[in-house]
Amino acid sequence: MIMNKNRTKKIAKRTISYVLKLALGIIFIMPLIFAVCYSIKPESLITVTPPNFFTKTPTLEHFKWVLVNLPFLNYIKNSFIVCIISIVCQVVFASLAAYAFAFFDFKGKGFFFTFAITAMMIPADIVIIINYATIQKWGLVNTYLGLAFPTLISGTSVFMMRQYYLTIPKSIKDAAVIDGCSDMRFLFKIAIPLSVPTIASLSLYLFVIIYNLFLWPLLVTNTETRRTVQIGMSMLVTSERIEYGPLLAGAVCCILPVVLVFLFGQDYIVKGMVAGAVKG
Amino acid sequence: MDNKIKKSSSCIAGAKKFNITPYLLILPMTLLFVAFTYYPFAKAIFLSFSVTKRSGDFAKWVGFSNWIRIFSKTEFWQIVWVTLKFALINLVFTLGIAMFFALLSATRVPGGKAYQMLFSLPMAIASAPTAAIWTFLFKQQGGILNWILGTSYAWTQETSTALMACAIVNIWMNIGASFIFLLVGFRNVPDELMESATIDGASPLRKVFSIQIPMASPQIFFVVFLSIITSFTAFAPIRLLTNGGPANSTTTLIYSVYKNAIINGRFETACVYSMALFLLIFIVTRIQFYFENRMVHYQ
Repeated sequence: MIMNKNRTKKIAKRTISYVLKLALGIIFIMPLIFAVCYSIKPESLITVTPPNFFTKTPTLEHFKWVLVNLPFLNYIKNSFIVCIISIVCQVVFASLAAYAFAFFDFKGKGFFFTFAITAMMIPADIVIIINYATIQKWGLVNTYLGLAFPTLISGTSVFMMRQYYLTIPKSIKDAAVIDGCSDMRFLFKIAIPLSVPTIASLSLYLFVIIYNLFLWPLLVTNTETRRTVQIGMSMLVTSERIEYGPLLAGAVCCILPVVLVFLFGQDYIVKGMVAGAVKG
Repeated sequence: MDNKIKKSSSCIAGAKKFNITPYLLILPMTLLFVAFTYYPFAKAIFLSFSVTKRSGDFAKWVGFSNWIRIFSKTEFWQIVWVTLKFALINLVFTLGIAMFFALLSATRVPGGKAYQMLFSLPMAIASAPTAAIWTFLFKQQGGILNWILGTSYAWTQETSTALMACAIVNIWMNIGASFIFLLVGFRNVPDELMESATIDGASPLRKVFSIQIPMASPQIFFVVFLSIITSFTAFAPIRLLTNGGPANSTTTLIYSVYKNAIINGRFETACVYSMALFLLIFIVTRIQFYFENRMVHYQ
């Protein structure tokens, strides 16, 4: 009887603590909830205090405004193109380099690996204006290539791919080579297919980072046609008279893809983050 | 027998033979790092000792005069001070809140992923939409934050609150990542240790300070420095909320780099600010390594 009572008490305690934690989480993401709720309110109700989540007359006018008056879909397309170029290149270039570091002995290996790791010590923001001058000189302002160039490689991706390749026993490669498998064939037929989970993790991690970049696309785009969604969206913040409805609708559109990626790929992204952090 | 000798000798010859494959494999990586990391870094150092044209091209070598000109202005030291203040505010709140969340989530319970997801979600959200949403919350007339706090600040336009406003945005975005790293640390604490402490009658608070925090010190250390460095390079909240103002109260080093290079067209000044920022980051990472090697408790 006493046992039973204790148990009920324990369960009740657990439930309460769970509910409290969940409530805390919801309070924490309250800005997002506000953004979503207020983006479907008619403009006249947006400035009314006290705040009220619900609206009797929900409207999609702000979303329509954003999509009609701004090339918002084009912004999103641009962001995706840049992300795809960068992610594909990083995965390919990092896999190639990691393959060399993990499976070959060559003169200067230590030097080149340090070279890649040290690059992580120089934050992109430090060199950003010089890179901007370079892109300008190459005539790549307002191009996808210009937008993608500084993110075509990163120390993190080289390091992460190498860490994975080191777990593939060298004897597998030796055996394959004896069977007449060439180096490149081994990379494309065995090493890369084996590393698909690592590549997935890396790609999602890179997606969140590159999709969210702000300063670089701000520097290298100055026309509507090539702006990424971050920059297009921020025009709503810096305009002379801020209209809050479209502003929130724009923000919601901008974060939707990345929130979806995060919800479905959180475990992968976390793996990428932790790997990226190891470098110190 | 003969065959064996032949084979081994060919092996030695093979080892000595120059193999170009690995060099070709690392070529794209090397070229990109040279072009977009090392070359611009060297050039930024070089240009900080030069006068440049508006395009950013070298015009004249001037030695230390840029550095002296900038370092002797109080404006520069004010910018450094704002940068440090911003980093400190970010550190205190990001670490405090992320640690609180991580301690709450440390024990695995069924369905615990739900609140973990909520705690970490903002890290996926970019600075531009975050700044946009907070612009709305910061509104003076009918703004939600003022309503909650019962205040009437023009958050982004008053010298007393502008830096705090930028920091709030930055903190909100950064808690997620810090939370995840700290959670890894707290989850590494062996269950037996916590259990035996409970049996010995340690209070929950005692367990936090005497077991969990010391055991997770590598992750805590990492988060401390991660938070400092990400706030050193936080640009979008400042650009979008305050533009460095009012009265330069939110002008940090990274914002000065942007302002000098793009708005004022002064590349050499921007390079000096970049280098100052680099030195600051470099010093902080050195301190991190130093303490990591001596103080952090590794299992």
